[in-house]
Amino acid sequence: MRVLPYLLYLFLITFHLIILSDLISILGARLNMLILIIVIIGLFKSETEAIWFGLSAGIIVGAARLDLMPWEVLVITVIAVAVKQVSSRINLESLASKVVVLACSVFLHEVIITLIISTEEIFFILIRYILPGTAYTVLIGLIFFLIKDGRISRKKIKALF
Amino acid sequence: MTWFSTIFYRNRRLLNFGMVIIFFLLITVSDGVVRPFLGNIAMSIFHYPFSELKSSIDNLKNVAEDNRNLKNTLTETSLQLSSLAEARRENHRLREFLGFEPPENFRVVPVKIVSLGNMGHNQYPIAAAINKGLNDSIKINQPVINRFGLVGKVKEVMPEFSTVQLLTDPANAISARIAESRQFGIVRYSPVEGMIFDNLPADAVINKGDLVISSGLGGVYPSGLTIAVVDSVLSIKGEIKKSIWLKPSADFLEIEELYVLESMIQ
Repeated sequence: MRVLPYLLYLFLITFHLIILSDLISILGARLNMLILIIVIIGLFKSETEAIWFGLSAGIIVGAARLDLMPWEVLVITVIAVAVKQVSSRINLESLASKVVVLACSVFLHEVIITLIISTEEIFFILIRYILPGTAYTVLIGLIFFLIKDGRISRKKIKALF
Repeated sequence: MTWFSTIFYRNRRLLNFGMVIIFFLLITVSDGVVRPFLGNIAMSIFHYPFSELKSSIDNLKNVAEDNRNLKNTLTETSLQLSSLAEARRENHRLREFLGFEPPENFRVVPVKIVSLGNMGHNQYPIAAAINKGLNDSIKINQPVINRFGLVGKVKEVMPEFSTVQLLTDPANAISARIAESRQFGIVRYSPVEGMIFDNLPADAVINKGDLVISSGLGGVYPSGLTIAVVDSVLSIKGEIKKSIWLKPSADFLEIEELYVLESMIQ
């Protein structure tokens, strides 16, 4: 298991959290880069890599608020393991199955962390922020999966014009 | 040696899970040692470089405009300074006359924000990490202000960093009073309604623009710190409470330089 790519992923998550998140948010809907990367690793890498990356990412994200660190670690690690377990039972060739796994993971993470912080006005937050944020992350994930599967390529885009 | 590596290889999944569970339990149970230690490492390696980068970019963008504004402000301030010096002398004379001593038991410790925690989906961040910690005598529950007013309190302390629970955290409610009418109430932040002033009787005389300050009750915040101004008041006939919306004095999207209030009484 090479460590360097995972360190770069962790830097990417922090970079997004501190700098990119606000810049690329659309009407309050934020891209959940953390879960997007966790799901990609869960789908395409081994269980060992998924579980340890989930733990590390939880610690780094939780450092901004120490009382939430155990929750972040628990939720992210469980999502990483669950995605790995699901990925061994689904057809990874199917784009829809990957998108459904991503959507469920993002939605669960957002709902659980929001509930831990405050239960006040959860339905408003769900409709105003969580669902648009999930849709935004799924859209970016969809583009990633299309590129990874070779369904979108430079050649094909050039051919369109 | 071969049998050892065979056992290790066969049980690697179990070993992985075991080690992760031990890690998780350490983080959860030992919150005074392991969590600050890990938080400190994560802050130093991952968060700090990016927040430095962000503040450098922001500084570069604003440098010309800041320079122009600062020159204007300097001129205005030098004029105000001379009138303030006279006001200060007058104030001192009047305080002596009244036999009143201001609470001068606090000193300010300037700190810089390292990272803003925008967890959940609030309009504003709910927590901030600052660049001073246990090594700089920062303690839990110390009030944090900026030049506009109260911002929050220290929630967690690491050796070189601390986290601040901002007033925009829905879990952070503070005892406050209206500066003019001296009415007591609770200031809290709701993700939907914004900052509101609770527990105020319907007959309380509150006007738009009234200043809301900390009451000093509860022992965390000293009295008299500016929190917000009254933005709008809604009185419904028959209701025993008034609904009051506040405009925070500090702009939580623009906070950068903060000051921790350190009590001089040990």
